[in-house]
Amino acid sequence: MNVSWQRLTDQRLCLAAGLAGALLAAACASTPPPTASLQAARSAISHAEEADAGRYAAPELSDARERLAAANSAVDQKMMPAAQRLAEESRVDAQLAFSKAERAKAVAVNDEMKHSNSTLIEEMQRKSGDQP
Amino acid sequence: MNTSTYKVPIPGRTLIAAAVASLLLVACAAAPVRPDGADAARARLTQLQSNPELATRAPVSMKDAEIAVRIAEQPQADVEIGKYNVYMADRKVDIAVAQAETALAVDQRVGLAQAQEKARLDARTHEADLANSKLASARVEIADQKSQAEMNRLAAADAAQQAALLASQQSADVAAQLAAQQAALLASQQSADAAAQLAAQQAAQQNAEMQRQLDEMHAKMTDRGAVLTLGDVLFATGRADLKVGATNNLDRLVAFLNNYPNRTVVIEGYTDNIGGDEYNMALSQRRSDSVKSYLTGQGIGSVRLTSTGKGLSNPIAGNDSASGRQQNRRVEVIIDNPPVAMR
Repeated sequence: MNVSWQRLTDQRLCLAAGLAGALLAAACASTPPPTASLQAARSAISHAEEADAGRYAAPELSDARERLAAANSAVDQKMMPAAQRLAEESRVDAQLAFSKAERAKAVAVNDEMKHSNSTLIEEMQRKSGDQP
Repeated sequence: MNTSTYKVPIPGRTLIAAAVASLLLVACAAAPVRPDGADAARARLTQLQSNPELATRAPVSMKDAEIAVRIAEQPQADVEIGKYNVYMADRKVDIAVAQAETALAVDQRVGLAQAQEKARLDARTHEADLANSKLASARVEIADQKSQAEMNRLAAADAAQQAALLASQQSADVAAQLAAQQAALLASQQSADAAAQLAAQQAAQQNAEMQRQLDEMHAKMTDRGAVLTLGDVLFATGRADLKVGATNNLDRLVAFLNNYPNRTVVIEGYTDNIGGDEYNMALSQRRSDSVKSYLTGQGIGSVRLTSTGKGLSNPIAGNDSASGRQQNRRVEVIIDNPPVAMR
């Protein structure tokens, strides 16, 4: 009785160990693709495109696109941690492209205002010049 | 399994286990290091945080950047993760900078809009000023034209009087000498009547020429003589020295006085009623003196020139309006009729 119980316990232990090992291996091999990060990167890119980043922040926008493509190919090669990182990098690239485009547009508006101010002042001075 | 293994004393087994464990550790986390570039990201974030114009303008993205930089600063065994953390930190600092600068640009628009409003207002004010001054000079011109008509009428009478006088005396002053010679030549051949007629004609021509010169100066004929009114454009407010470029009319007067050396001139300064009697008397005297010294400077003998200050007397317009006061601030130059014309 005592001996058989001992054997049984040994068998169970082996089984448990085997199962645990199998589970671990399965976990490693089948890490799911970083779907949420990939989706976030895609939507950040289209947000930047809508803000005209193609015109005002072209290098950052193409960085974002390239990293998204690299993330997808990492997924194909089952390199999920790398895919996750590339997707996140793509997202911040796109956010930076968006922010730079917004800044460029804001600065352009200010420049236009400054230009029209100085035109007004110049015009006035030219009229004064006409005065004898 | 080798049974001898079981016979190894416990301390020996522990030693082996420890050795294996430490080997594993070394293999896994060889040297956790602070990733390259983390310090640079921190430096750029600090620069942004200490820029007084930008520090408070993008709080959310600056907090994100702060968190990302802190993560990047953690020592990392895995070089790839270290690189990744630095990349994220760099980009988030860039995003914070761009957003803060965007916010700054938007805030600056308030000032720019105010400057624009001011520039527009200045432009409108300026246009109104220009229109007013054009209106004022148009008024002066109309007044000049009116006086010219009157002057022409009186001048015609004056010319006729002089011509008749010259003709009846058959004498010629300096200006009419040539006419007299021709008249004398003619008189020897023709009748005295014809000679007299020619002399009269020549004298009339002389007078017409004089009249043309007076016309050019917009002189007004009065019983005191031809009065030339110099508007306040000659002087700056409160000043007695002649403005540069205001001497056009005075130069015509100089030419006239050179052509007619027997004419004398009285220069009278007038002011508006601003500033009291004494001040205005002195100012008008200085202004008329200044015109006199200009004329002497141009070679007109000072004995022919008399300058007086009349202060605020004899206003030619109301002092209750700016345009009236402008008309009252003037210098009148009276060209006396020549003694010969006065008999």
